[in-house]
Amino acid sequence: MSDIKIKSKNLNVYYGDKQALFDVNLELNEKEVTALIGPSGCGKSTFIRCINRMNDVIDICKVEGNIEIDGIEVNDKELDVVSLRERVGMVFQKPNPFPKSIYDNISYGPKIHGKGETKSELDEIVERSLKKAALWEEVKDRLNEPGTGLSGGQQQRLCIARAISVNPEVILMDEPCSALDPIATAKIEELIDELKKTYTIVIVTHSMAQAVRVSQKTGFFHLGKLIEVGKTEKIFKNPDNKMTQDYITGRFG
Amino acid sequence: MTKEERLKKRHKAEKRFRFYGLASIFFALLFVLILVNNIFSKGSSAFMKTAINVEVFFDPELIEIQNGATSDEILEADFYDIAIETLLKVYPAKTLDEENALIDLFTTDAEIEIKRVFLEDNTLIGKKINLEITASDDIDQLHKGNYPRDLPEDRRRISNFQLKIYDNLVENKKIIKNFNNYFFSNGDSRDPELAGIGGALVGSFYSIIICLLLAFPVAVLASIYLEEFAPKNKITDFIEININNLAAVPSIVYGLLALQILLATIQLPRSTPLVAGITLALMTLPRIIIPCRASLKAVPPSIREGALAVGASKFQSVFHHVVPLALPGTLSGTIIGLAQALGETAPLILIGMVAFVVDIPSTPIDPSSSLPVQVYLWSESAERGFVEKTSATIMMLLSFLIVMNFVAVYLRQKFEKRWN
Repeated sequence: MSDIKIKSKNLNVYYGDKQALFDVNLELNEKEVTALIGPSGCGKSTFIRCINRMNDVIDICKVEGNIEIDGIEVNDKELDVVSLRERVGMVFQKPNPFPKSIYDNISYGPKIHGKGETKSELDEIVERSLKKAALWEEVKDRLNEPGTGLSGGQQQRLCIARAISVNPEVILMDEPCSALDPIATAKIEELIDELKKTYTIVIVTHSMAQAVRVSQKTGFFHLGKLIEVGKTEKIFKNPDNKMTQDYITGRFG
Repeated sequence: MTKEERLKKRHKAEKRFRFYGLASIFFALLFVLILVNNIFSKGSSAFMKTAINVEVFFDPELIEIQNGATSDEILEADFYDIAIETLLKVYPAKTLDEENALIDLFTTDAEIEIKRVFLEDNTLIGKKINLEITASDDIDQLHKGNYPRDLPEDRRRISNFQLKIYDNLVENKKIIKNFNNYFFSNGDSRDPELAGIGGALVGSFYSIIICLLLAFPVAVLASIYLEEFAPKNKITDFIEININNLAAVPSIVYGLLALQILLATIQLPRSTPLVAGITLALMTLPRIIIPCRASLKAVPPSIREGALAVGASKFQSVFHHVVPLALPGTLSGTIIGLAQALGETAPLILIGMVAFVVDIPSTPIDPSSSLPVQVYLWSESAERGFVEKTSATIMMLLSFLIVMNFVAVYLRQKFEKRWN
């Protein structure tokens, strides 16, 4: 059993008057993939956006409760979000490369965190990140071309490489394959398998098959509540909760 | 109604709509054509001026300076006698009235034109040269065919005697048309043949530069703050509504404001490009803020999130990613705002730019005119020569506006990223 990396305690999130998460208590293990499943609007994305405080961007969003990473409180107002996000990278539903060159897409993060002082250091980071994201072979000859010119799957791997570039501990993935075709999806899934050796990964997905394929732990959300969480095998073979059973067998959602 | 009938009706409605659309475009183009044609037919002749070829004899007895005089001496010297002698040689005039009529065929600046030649070559004393001296406005208009010569003499500005001289000059090929450099290099003048838009051009240029320097940074920073940093609450809503309201305030109101605050209270020099620039900046500010905010808003939120997610601060995500992407739209909005300011007349009239200014301003705090005000001034003048000058000034103004708008469109097309 691996160590606990992220731990949420009585997490409540409100969008204005509407409550989006109700008392979520969830523990995520280090160097493991945790999949969050559930019908649309159930709070999965809201939950992972709490981990790197992306909800700060939304004016009306209010977060109560605790989230700890390695015992450090994330919701602490004193905490510097910039260094938090350096430790917790994120990949979004729609590939969102910057409209800049492939090289600049990757080197931006290290640059603002002062990680690549010299050109050769940056070159090295770019190469390492692209290799880790399994994109190096495809783009090594055109690093100066715009990242937006790549195919959807390549763009998403570019975004993963961008997240890796600052050497985070955790990578959050918000439905990373929902805009991709099956072949690109397969590549990303292989990549996730590889990445979990180094990083703690949380992935939100609508595809049960994907959750089964990539994750070791699965959490099922419904209407803002964490209904059930456990080993992926157990959740999909023998869930404790009737609702989980109904959802994974496709009876609702 | 059967299915076929309904289908037929739908097709007919579509055809009707297409026809209406085409008809509207046709009418719009027709009006543009009428406008352009009107301005061109009236204004194009202003770019040429009529001159009369005369023989100038720098008679040593009529002038007190010698060959090799310094330019200061030349500027002070009196060339009046030489000028009069030169003009009188053009045609035999018997009486004093006839002599005056003859001299009236030339511009009042004939003496200065002769002096200018001497300034360039100060060895001309005792020599004879051929010189093209600008004709008076009446001859200019007559030669361009803008003046009806079949009116009875008492209703004509040109007498029969003058007509006779003119016909004689035409016959001897002494009358020529050349490029009207005065139109670009001179300031305003009471004499249409000497009047130019030089002063107005420089005045407009200074005003627009001051307007740009004041309005652009303020507008861009205000837009960035409002769009990216300001909390969304009642105060910012109120500000937003008021910016939209200010953009719709008639420009003359800004003129009144400037009259009270800039001229009466702060006592800045009136009729100057400085005041004009500040007034236009006030007016242009909301008109730039609106497109700036629109282009910031058009940058997809995913770019901001992408930057934030790799650990960029809010400031970094805005200035490294959002602002560069919004820049083309921001610039084109600014240029279009400036183009509007360039054509603005009403507020400038109120701050005294209608003053008759002959000198070309050398600094922004010299009294000056501006292109649209010059149009307004000349359109009220009685002399025929100002009709073509007015249209020609409109042509210049329109071509500046077209160039500016073209640059704005080009910037947007060339540099704006497409999202999909």
